[in-house]
Amino acid sequence: MTPPRLLLLLAALAAGAPAAEPGADAEELFTRRVAPLLREKCLSCHGQDPAKRKGGLDLRTRAEALRGGDSGQPAVVAGRPDESPLYLSARRDHGDWEAMPPKESEAFTSDQLDWLREWIAGGAPWPDAARQEEIRRARGAAWAGEDGVTVKTSPGLSPEWNARRYPQADLWAFQPLRKPAVPAGSAHPVDAFVAEKLAALELSPAPPAEAGALLRRLSFGLTGLPPSPEEVAAFAPAHAADPRAAVAAAVDRLLASPHHGERMAQHWLDVVRYADTAGFANDYDRGNAWRYRDYVVRAFNADRPFDRFIREQIAGDELDPENPEAVVATGFLRMGPWELTGMEVAKVARQRFLDDVTNSVGETFLAQPLQCARCHDHKFDPIPTRDYYALQAVFATTQLAERPAAFLPQENRAGFAERTHLEQRRADHLAALQRLDERMLANAAAWFRDQGRDPARWDAAVAQARAQERSKKRREFEGAFATARSILLRAQVPEDAFPPKLVGLTPQEYGEERVARKGLERLRWELERYEPFALAVYNGRTPDVKSVNAPGRIPAARLEAGELEQTCILTGGDPFSPGERVVPGALSALGALGTGPVPDTIDGRRRALADWVASPANPLTARVIANRVWQWHFGRPLAANPNNFGVTGGKPSHPALLDWLAATLVEHGWSLKHLHRVIATSAAYARSSAHPDRAAVAERDPAGVSLAVFPLRRLSAEELRDAMLAASGELNRAVGGIPNRPEIHPEVALQPRQVMGTFAAAWVPNAMPAERHRRSLYALRVRGLPDPAMEVFNQPGPDFSCERRDAATITPQVFSLFNGAASHARALALAHRALRESTDDAGTVARCFALALGREPTAAELAACLEHWRGQIPLAGEATPAPRPPLEVRREAVEENTGERFAFTERLPAAADFQPDLAPADVPPRTRALADVCLVLFNGNEFTHLE
Amino acid sequence: MNAYFPCAGARALHAPTRRDFVYGLGASLGSVAFSALLAQEAGARSGPLAPRAPHRAAKAKACIFLMMEGGPSHLDTFDPKPALERLHLKEFVREGREKSAMESGKRYFVRSPFRFRRAGASGADMAENWAHLAGVADDLCFYRGCQVDSVNHPTAMYQMNTGNRFGGDPGIGAWVTYGLGSLNQNLPGFVVLPEVSYPQGGASNWGSGYLPAVYQGTPLRAKGAPILDLAPPPGVSAERQRRNLDLLARLNAGHAAHHPGADALAARMESYELAYRMQLEVPGVLDLQGEDAATRELYGLGREPTDAFGRKCLLARRLVERGVRFVQLYHGTWDSHDDIERAHGNLVRAVDQPIAALIADLKRRGLLESTLVVWCGEFGRTPDNGVRGGTAYGRDHNPKAMTIWMAGGGVKAGHTIGATDETGMEAVACVHPVRDLHVTLLHLLGLDDNRLTYYHGGRFKQLSQFGGTVIRELLA
Repeated sequence: MTPPRLLLLLAALAAGAPAAEPGADAEELFTRRVAPLLREKCLSCHGQDPAKRKGGLDLRTRAEALRGGDSGQPAVVAGRPDESPLYLSARRDHGDWEAMPPKESEAFTSDQLDWLREWIAGGAPWPDAARQEEIRRARGAAWAGEDGVTVKTSPGLSPEWNARRYPQADLWAFQPLRKPAVPAGSAHPVDAFVAEKLAALELSPAPPAEAGALLRRLSFGLTGLPPSPEEVAAFAPAHAADPRAAVAAAVDRLLASPHHGERMAQHWLDVVRYADTAGFANDYDRGNAWRYRDYVVRAFNADRPFDRFIREQIAGDELDPENPEAVVATGFLRMGPWELTGMEVAKVARQRFLDDVTNSVGETFLAQPLQCARCHDHKFDPIPTRDYYALQAVFATTQLAERPAAFLPQENRAGFAERTHLEQRRADHLAALQRLDERMLANAAAWFRDQGRDPARWDAAVAQARAQERSKKRREFEGAFATARSILLRAQVPEDAFPPKLVGLTPQEYGEERVARKGLERLRWELERYEPFALAVYNGRTPDVKSVNAPGRIPAARLEAGELEQTCILTGGDPFSPGERVVPGALSALGALGTGPVPDTIDGRRRALADWVASPANPLTARVIANRVWQWHFGRPLAANPNNFGVTGGKPSHPALLDWLAATLVEHGWSLKHLHRVIATSAAYARSSAHPDRAAVAERDPAGVSLAVFPLRRLSAEELRDAMLAASGELNRAVGGIPNRPEIHPEVALQPRQVMGTFAAAWVPNAMPAERHRRSLYALRVRGLPDPAMEVFNQPGPDFSCERRDAATITPQVFSLFNGAASHARALALAHRALRESTDDAGTVARCFALALGREPTAAELAACLEHWRGQIPLAGEATPAPRPPLEVRREAVEENTGERFAFTERLPAAADFQPDLAPADVPPRTRALADVCLVLFNGNEFTHLE
Repeated sequence: MNAYFPCAGARALHAPTRRDFVYGLGASLGSVAFSALLAQEAGARSGPLAPRAPHRAAKAKACIFLMMEGGPSHLDTFDPKPALERLHLKEFVREGREKSAMESGKRYFVRSPFRFRRAGASGADMAENWAHLAGVADDLCFYRGCQVDSVNHPTAMYQMNTGNRFGGDPGIGAWVTYGLGSLNQNLPGFVVLPEVSYPQGGASNWGSGYLPAVYQGTPLRAKGAPILDLAPPPGVSAERQRRNLDLLARLNAGHAAHHPGADALAARMESYELAYRMQLEVPGVLDLQGEDAATRELYGLGREPTDAFGRKCLLARRLVERGVRFVQLYHGTWDSHDDIERAHGNLVRAVDQPIAALIADLKRRGLLESTLVVWCGEFGRTPDNGVRGGTAYGRDHNPKAMTIWMAGGGVKAGHTIGATDETGMEAVACVHPVRDLHVTLLHLLGLDDNRLTYYHGGRFKQLSQFGGTVIRELLA
């Protein structure tokens, strides 16, 4: 693997740079090239910090370089590069000298090697700092054209960092956004830009796609769902009559569909890392996360101006605190995995949130992975560490809480009745604790007997505890045994005078106690799902909290209690190594952008940052979203790394097109639907994915960025599942609401999963088929329990932002799609439907094709499928009834305090009402045999890939 | 329980087909036939799992990683601290601001309830209850210098398994498979044998992170179907499935004709045939009935408390024998906050014989030289504890000290490297962070951490995160 960006950059540097002459020019060469190279590649191990110095070699001065390190040989032999270990190490091909720097990805390029060589050959002069500065002043202007420009930012950790030069091309995303003129010669602006590139590559575009393929592309692209056979049938003649009008009408229809917002939300949630649980040791439910998910769907459906969408997510609570929608929107800031347990240092956990949110804002809106600047000034981009902490300081008064937020009329509140199952579980846990409490009280009596002690005082405490228990209405359980102990402890009775905690419990009971207690704790989070609260933030001081094991509320003393965080540059990113103080701010390389400064008051910081991010003058924001939207249609972006517009990210293949799209977006009030319309009505969008001159494309456009064809892409995991459900007619198209639980692989559903102190609850599918067959967007996303059928088709894990889905083919995909129960169930339902909706065998097969692939079978396909159908009938004999989820599952584990096994039964009352899908036993062999044809259609490349 | 039933849920396809002859695979697969198959396929293979040359010549070709999840106590296993006898129940005061709630309240030093002895000719320190492991003590290299950055289970597990405390990065097995490929294209290159219940942090402990998904750890499940959906659902016979595959191939061929040269389509078509081969091969690998009685006895199969982990160890050997590159076994939980005598006592009884058997069995088959065996947890434990639940003594999490041991190709067997302080609170000699351990493990497998990189998120990422050094003291 080579670092393509870096090579490009250095090649650009070298081009036109006359080879420096040895001798007098060597001083200039040192100042301009070699000194920065030594700093970049050598000094971290051979310089500044003597404690970190490797091999005794110090490369900060000429004398030390000539003296060398522990090897006893000089590192540099002036005038003789081929005898200089510094040069030989850098070449990486010398047997005696270890390749340096150690990381291959940081190796010297051939130009850099040439500079090093020429400098040594020229006598290895080493002008001092003053002389270097003199040379820089004298020659700086002459270098600028070749070496690039400096960027004015806030101070870096070293002055050299600020003096760094960036080739103009590397700063493309930081340049002010101006709408480029559209090249002449094309009817559609997008095509005009694309045509320029094609002409440059001497490629002709592929012909237009067939109508069916085009409608399928539009439907999946804009709604994530296939077109119905009726829509295909209506589109074909319209397209034949007037392709442009037909496409425009289809685009309008799809943009108006409520499923459009779902599709866009799926993309957005990949970027922001949506999940319904918090990850790490407890993986607690985030009961209200779904409201943020639905907010995103609503925002896209309503074509919320993108700048407002940004503002709401960063600072909705500050902008409009009484509006539940705005409060819910700040769920964005909470999307990263996070928890604080008693096992963890609170300050470390707090820092984890701050780092997460800083980086997330950078990646999501600005395509700047800011974590690169957490420990040091950015190695490639004009982002000093100071900026990282300035941006972090914006969040120094941002605290996590589940805030009150009334349900809106447009929120889907169906299914809240499932809460009774959780209440049932809660009652079970309380009963278990009650039983164990009685057991401990009995054991306590025995303890006094065994010890020969007088239980009078204890008995009095127990009586008091029982009275207290009745008088207090506590939600959680507190048994008389534990309360009695607290009473005596408070009365300063010596601890050995009364029974210890959990007295006399067996390992089995020990385990049961923990399971019930932790189970109650977990339910607090789950029950939050049906309450009018939002996963959100508030402004205030940082409360002194050691662990978080229940949903948090805004404390009354938010402005008074706790620490008012003063953000500092953290040395090495370590919260216990604070350095210089910083004030809240944004990226200094871009300046204020005409927005107000970020205040250092407790309130108002995020609002100011949001204004800055969403400013039309911010050159990154509009480019970033335009690039993402392009990728959402074409499967690949214009600039290769949608989360990274820095030097190490891919540069845009069509920079003018990207700028035109971004400027158009801003010009049209940040309307994303307008942008979709522009893109989807272009000829580039409507091209075939197969090119008649494949060889030419492969040769002149090996990276596949020319847009000579529409890139073929595999459907995402969610599209595959939704498309099968749509074809079989089972899809429930309801929009929004609490997460549903489709049937996942039963062994995974019941797989015991350790969380802190207990097991997480089993996955119990929803009782009714319609509840299970909602769009995949709505399936409960548990960080610790990915659905294997989704994961295997590259659904990204929700820990990192996903800028682009992987679509790698791996063998277990076959197991899932060809052997998995879900595909078989969908195939059976499709077969059943097709038989119902047709009159003869050929018509039935044709209906299967229409529903699954949106087209008629060819004669050969029809014959093959009919033959297969008939042939499978005798083989389809053994029919099985639908499996049902169990009503309870036995859990076995090693009890952590005793190392002994214990077991308990987890009851799954929600499974009692389960209504299975259509099962093989419900239909005749003829239907089962046809289901095999359907299964093959679902597994075919035509179904899984979008042309 | 915990059995690797060869065919439970993974019904083999009994009807022989033409592909059985093509690929030479039957239901019971001997290693001779297998070696021949490897040799035959080795030359012509390509693809992401094709074997690749290491960066340097190395003895170890495969790794068996025994992950004792929960944090085994070094003080009660391999790192005796006589000073704790003297300090027993004396109050322990901890300095420092990096305290979690776990460290609050009054704390006391706790002596080890286990007696120690010197094992083997090398005189390795070992608690007496490691009765079987003592027999292979001279094959082990103990390391007492490793430190982790996290005091909490999932973050420490993530760091030990992926280098990154916060999860989401590729597991070490994923990196090794990415670097070396696999010698067997019909099995996953990186296999995980988890406990029935997954550890804290779940499947991310063996994920592929930003590496291609093909490198992620495939858990062979301890109960039920070893690989999900390896076999079609009940009622779908081999013949029926084969006919479906044939129709699929026919329809796909028609589609491909319109998309010549589309690699993704061709790869999908090939993956169905590969899946079919895996479907045939995996049940045979998992069938431990083929092992002779003496071997089964050696690993402690068929009786408590060794059966469960014995099966994992034996299966690990069979997988490595068949060319699987990296096998990670989980056992736990070793998180003994209370009553360490009982808790660690039970845990050691469950793993002692199986692990000793694994080392001995690898050795007698000549596989130990080419296999790196690693035993570790995510951290060690403290010399002190708070009083909980009365008089039972346990220990809390300790990121500053732990014992790791290694055996096999390239390690300095028969030595103990590094040391902890008088009470075992902190490593003081040959101290290295986890990243250096990772760099060393890669080195032992012939891989250079600085060359084993993957470009993602704007930089070249590597297992050690930002680079590290080989712990030379651990090398033979």
